Amino acid sequence: MSQEKALEEANLNSASLNSRPGFWTILKIWFLIGGQSFGGGPSTIFLIRREFMSKRHWLTDEEYSRFWVLCQLTPGVNIIALSVLIGKKLNGVQGIIASLIGLLLPSTTITILLAATFSSVQNWPPIQAMLKGITPATAGFSALVAIQFSRPLLKQARQESWTSLIFSIGIILGCAILLGFFKIAVVYVLLVAAIISAIGFSLIWKTSKLKKEL
Amino acid sequence: MSPLEFFITFLKASLFSTGGFGNLPSLHQDLIASNLATDADFGQSIAVGQISPGPNGLWVIALGYFTYGFLGAILALFAIIIPALIVLIMAALYNRIAHLTAVEGIARGISLGVVGLFVIVVISLLSGPGADWRGLLFFGGAFALSLSKKINVVIILTLAALGGYLIYN
Repeated sequence: MSQEKALEEANLNSASLNSRPGFWTILKIWFLIGGQSFGGGPSTIFLIRREFMSKRHWLTDEEYSRFWVLCQLTPGVNIIALSVLIGKKLNGVQGIIASLIGLLLPSTTITILLAATFSSVQNWPPIQAMLKGITPATAGFSALVAIQFSRPLLKQARQESWTSLIFSIGIILGCAILLGFFKIAVVYVLLVAAIISAIGFSLIWKTSKLKKEL
Repeated sequence: MSPLEFFITFLKASLFSTGGFGNLPSLHQDLIASNLATDADFGQSIAVGQISPGPNGLWVIALGYFTYGFLGAILALFAIIIPALIVLIMAALYNRIAHLTAVEGIARGISLGVVGLFVIVVISLLSGPGADWRGLLFFGGAFALSLSKKINVVIILTLAALGGYLIYN
């Protein structure tokens, strides 16, 4: 590809593929990502960026950012949604299927094997004792996950306005109270949070936009 | 619980959540209410999920296995794949919804809500049957060690297991 042409492609904000990678190629790449991404989300993202961006240039930074925004608007595991978008870009429906199988097959197999091994020794008293240490430890991870999850949300809210920050904290506390004290079904709690936030944030963003214009 | 009900419980939890752990509060509520899982099952599942490769969200596959066997693991897997496909609809509508503040507000609200729900789940994991004050030491220890980011999760879990063995056995 000539340099001029390469520049043109970059301007289109979309990495073009010289030839569409086939089903097996895509599967193989995701298989390696899925099988060696020990350490959860961050290491998986690192490998995805390395394989599809640094190594092969099949995806531009702009595309990646846009994909990531879409994944965050999508329910569930962001990385699975990301693999769907990357797969679709590389080779349509075939690409999606190859990506999903590649990402999930190795890690699902290992997860099931670990769980099965665990199940077979579960009732042995020493293991029971170990579990009594492991359960609160995983609560420690969960607490950290919640903090790490909330930090960018609260930071962004603070950048918007104090109202946005207070509103955000209100949503967090409100949901905790609805579940903790009133034992309301989680799905309803989240539905309420979604509706109140849709209205609340729209109003907050509108007013701050108006203020900026003034 | 029939396989279909089991699948719907997992699917519902993932559809109304964000992130790999967002489905935890809903699953915790439903599976404990139906006596299918205990707090220890959740602890084990999160531990297995942390040890195995891939996105953190795969912890539910372990939960599926512990509560409903091999079939449960497969049902849990499909329950996290299906919501992810919604991203295709998002991509198709992107130009139309990108400017809609309501959509962004909903996504942000659910993420904030999940944080609040997590607080309650963490409390439950710490105060469930069989838990005592010493659990707080494990909680604090694991939290502090993983906060430092330098220590591998597997090492932290091994230490927790060893500590549990020494204290409770």
